Amino acid sequence: MSHSVFEKLTVLVVDDSAYMRHLLMTLLQALGVTRVYLAIDGEEAWELLNTCQPDIVLTDAAMVPGDGFMFAKRLRSLRGHALGFVPIIMVSGHTDLASVERARDIGVTEFLSKPISARSLYERLIQVLDRPRQFVETPTYRGPDRRRRNTPFAGEDRRGGVALI
Amino acid sequence: MPEHRLPSRLGGQDSKDGDTPPDVRFIRVPSIAERKLGREYVAPMRLDPRVLDQMQQTIRGLETKYAEALKSQVAMLQILVEPACKGDSEARGRLYSLAHDMRGLAGTFGHPMVSRFADSLCGYLENCEAEDLKDGTVILFHVDAIRDAIENPRTDAAVTLETLEALERLIEANRRDRRRLG
Repeated sequence: MSHSVFEKLTVLVVDDSAYMRHLLMTLLQALGVTRVYLAIDGEEAWELLNTCQPDIVLTDAAMVPGDGFMFAKRLRSLRGHALGFVPIIMVSGHTDLASVERARDIGVTEFLSKPISARSLYERLIQVLDRPRQFVETPTYRGPDRRRRNTPFAGEDRRGGVALI
Repeated sequence: MPEHRLPSRLGGQDSKDGDTPPDVRFIRVPSIAERKLGREYVAPMRLDPRVLDQMQQTIRGLETKYAEALKSQVAMLQILVEPACKGDSEARGRLYSLAHDMRGLAGTFGHPMVSRFADSLCGYLENCEAEDLKDGTVILFHVDAIRDAIENPRTDAAVTLETLEALERLIEANRRDRRRLG
């Protein structure tokens, strides 16, 4: 019998809007995800992390007291821990360039703008599940490689050799 | 073994060109799908139209319930305008929170214009000073526009966009006034 990868996933949803949490949970369940954990802000999500060991995190950006940026930053700071590599999809209504760039520079894997559609959520999930970008660790950045396009550039190509985890 | 390399040019704003280049590691992360499914994994994963349809049906199933909630939220917005404009910070916070919810959700449930108006209202509330709120015109017009978009979802898109542009002009005029008055 063939299984869907979604049946085997654990997803952590972080959003201060009860409606949004419900919507995301229901859509994940429609995909077949059975283990969905909910948190109302970054602080609660942080406390849940070790209990739920998520395969994917879906987080809002603007929340009080712990916002999604802070939560993502803390998550990426977990060096030497598998949770530090967890794909983070930021689901946010703040779609201005500064917010998207901030998310990218913190190590967020994908950005999904609200209002969401079934298709956009499904596509982002497939992206993080099956087409992971290599991770980059520097003293100032830790997260998925921010270079998405394979365009020519001047200088040494340092992406040729990678470590495998 | 991890390979140690020179710093990336995409090091972000925080990166500095020091004398001693810090280490950079590139790490290949395995596909979660492959790891979870093992031998059952078939690459590449594709969007399954049946599953997508199931998700869309789920959204349609929630639409009626959300439409009811939206009406109550608009009624609450109308109640909150006056205290928010009179300086009640709790009312202002609640008003913003409701508009923020609408911005994020209404479009998903077939009310894209409600999302647009709510987005404009959130933008205004995020950038205005307490002094600007005393004249509640901008907020009131937004709430009216949201209510109208809910009650008349089939309004010509051109008319709705014109309303949105008028609201943006109103916000800009308010900003100019504020700058002029110092």
